[in-house]
Amino acid sequence: MTDYAIIAEDLTYYYDDLTAVNHINFQVAEGEILGFLGPNGAGKTTTVKMLTGQMKPRGGRAVLLGMDVAKNIEKVQGNIGVCFETTNLYEQMTAIENLNLFARLFGVKPFYAIEYLSRVGLEGRGKDKVETYSKGMKQRLMVARSLVNRPQILFLDEPTAGLDPASSEAIREVILREKERGATVFLTTHDMMEADKLSDRVVFMNQGNIVALDTPLNLKRQYGRRALKVKVATGSGALEDREIVLDTPETPSNIQELFMHEQVVTVHSEEATLEDIFINITGRGLTE
Amino acid sequence: MSPRRVGILLAKEFLYGSRSYMFIFSIVGPIVISVVISLALGTWLADTPKMGIFDEGNSQFVVMVQELDSVESQEYDSVNALKQAVEDGKIDMGIILSSGFDDDVTQGKPAEIKAYIWGESLAKSRAIIGITISDTIRELAGQETPVEINTTILGEGASIPWNDRLLPFIVLVAIFLGGLMLPATSLATEKEKRTLPALTLTPVSLSDVFLAKGLLGFILSVFMGILILILNQAFGSQPLLLILVLVFGAIMAAELGMLLGAFVKDFATLFTIWKTAGIILFAPVFVFLFPQIPEWVGKIFPTYYILQPIVELSQLGGGWSDIATNTFILIGLDIVILIALLAAIKKRQYAIIGT
Repeated sequence: MTDYAIIAEDLTYYYDDLTAVNHINFQVAEGEILGFLGPNGAGKTTTVKMLTGQMKPRGGRAVLLGMDVAKNIEKVQGNIGVCFETTNLYEQMTAIENLNLFARLFGVKPFYAIEYLSRVGLEGRGKDKVETYSKGMKQRLMVARSLVNRPQILFLDEPTAGLDPASSEAIREVILREKERGATVFLTTHDMMEADKLSDRVVFMNQGNIVALDTPLNLKRQYGRRALKVKVATGSGALEDREIVLDTPETPSNIQELFMHEQVVTVHSEEATLEDIFINITGRGLTE
Repeated sequence: MSPRRVGILLAKEFLYGSRSYMFIFSIVGPIVISVVISLALGTWLADTPKMGIFDEGNSQFVVMVQELDSVESQEYDSVNALKQAVEDGKIDMGIILSSGFDDDVTQGKPAEIKAYIWGESLAKSRAIIGITISDTIRELAGQETPVEINTTILGEGASIPWNDRLLPFIVLVAIFLGGLMLPATSLATEKEKRTLPALTLTPVSLSDVFLAKGLLGFILSVFMGILILILNQAFGSQPLLLILVLVFGAIMAAELGMLLGAFVKDFATLFTIWKTAGIILFAPVFVFLFPQIPEWVGKIFPTYYILQPIVELSQLGGGWSDIATNTFILIGLDIVILIALLAAIKKRQYAIIGT
């Protein structure tokens, strides 16, 4: 048994002249949450589709739970859960019927749909048809559906995109509980705060290539800039902003000088965000 | 492929697909068409075939026929009265038995029956009366006899009544509306709603999904075919053979539905194709509607090989030998379409799923 839940080996996909995924390599350890970040068209969704067997790689291979996806598609898909960005539920069915259908297809016995609905805060609406649900409720139901087979690997594609804060928080809690259970989570998201908060490591994808892969902290240390944001009072009583860049040889003396000669009112530390780091590495924003 | 998962998907199709407009229309449509045509042509719940007899001698044949339930028989006292009854449509067929008919038949001599047929009588009525006459004579003679039946069609009506001409159309609608359109619309819906990727990310294969939808179409197609034949009292004397033909016809409909579903992306495209390809499917109907069109024209189209055996069995009193060639061609067509379908699923797997 491998220690890695997911291995991408030289994974490649191209459409005619366009290379969507360009010979990428990475591993995800069992029980790890990997944030998969990048702007639209970076190759994130194509990578997820190759990993989950929805697309056949043009080159390289995907290995999940020690099994080559292309050769063991049925076994692999029996042990993964996938939550899509776009809603794809059976809307004429109730939430319970949706979950029961997928539980039966996975062969899960016994199965109590209400338990899964309560995990995403939908226990009171289980008997309602999905077509009456709001976007946030549908998304939470999609997350619940991706859990029915107690997957060893959970793929979540933009699970909180466009959701209200309460729905987003409910989904984040589910992700953390899945990690506690021992599941590996492959999280594709635009939300940098979310990725920073949840991910053990993050991957930056840009134009089909992996441009960075590390923990958020290490990426910030390597590419980001930390600073102290200070407000000082001037002689006239007005407030002025000062900034002291951290992690430089001059930092200690600059701090000492500030406190000796200025009337410091407030001090805040400021860290680079993942978005700052992405711009720093690629020269473009994540939402471009 | 997993029978358990196909069963789960099929149950889903019946439980939730049956609420779709297409499912309801597939059942209601052919029934309404059938009833409207029957009411318009006055053949709704048509009676037992009626036969009139003018007996010049004192034939045992008359007594034997009167004991049968399959036809209603009545004796007339003159040829003119018999001919008038036929012309007025009071009886479907009137026959004249010569004075020495029984003796000729029992001695194995050539005998003649002169028969008058009402022009608007149903083909199945003619077939039933024809078979009844033949069987009764065989019983009377105790052997095969060389009886020659000379028929004359009387009355204003056409030689083939419109109710019979329209039956192939109604049967084809019954078989193909459910059999073809249900799998096709169901697959198009799954594509539009993007639920196919969700299904195929479980251990369910694309073939499982197709088979479940095809089975739904097949079951409905056979059921509707039988129902429409019953409603039109066109089950004939070979019900098992008729069901066999319906089964192979339903297989063709379901296969074409799945094939269509494999290629179309949405409902709009599906209905555009249905409107144009429908002409090819329904073209043979015109051969049966207008018998002056040469039969070879119908043979160009695949659905002819469903309709010809059904018409032969239900209206013309034919048997296996009359339908064997066309039934084997129908089976061959089913196999060819199946091969094309399997190739399409394999080659277009990712395009079908929408990835």
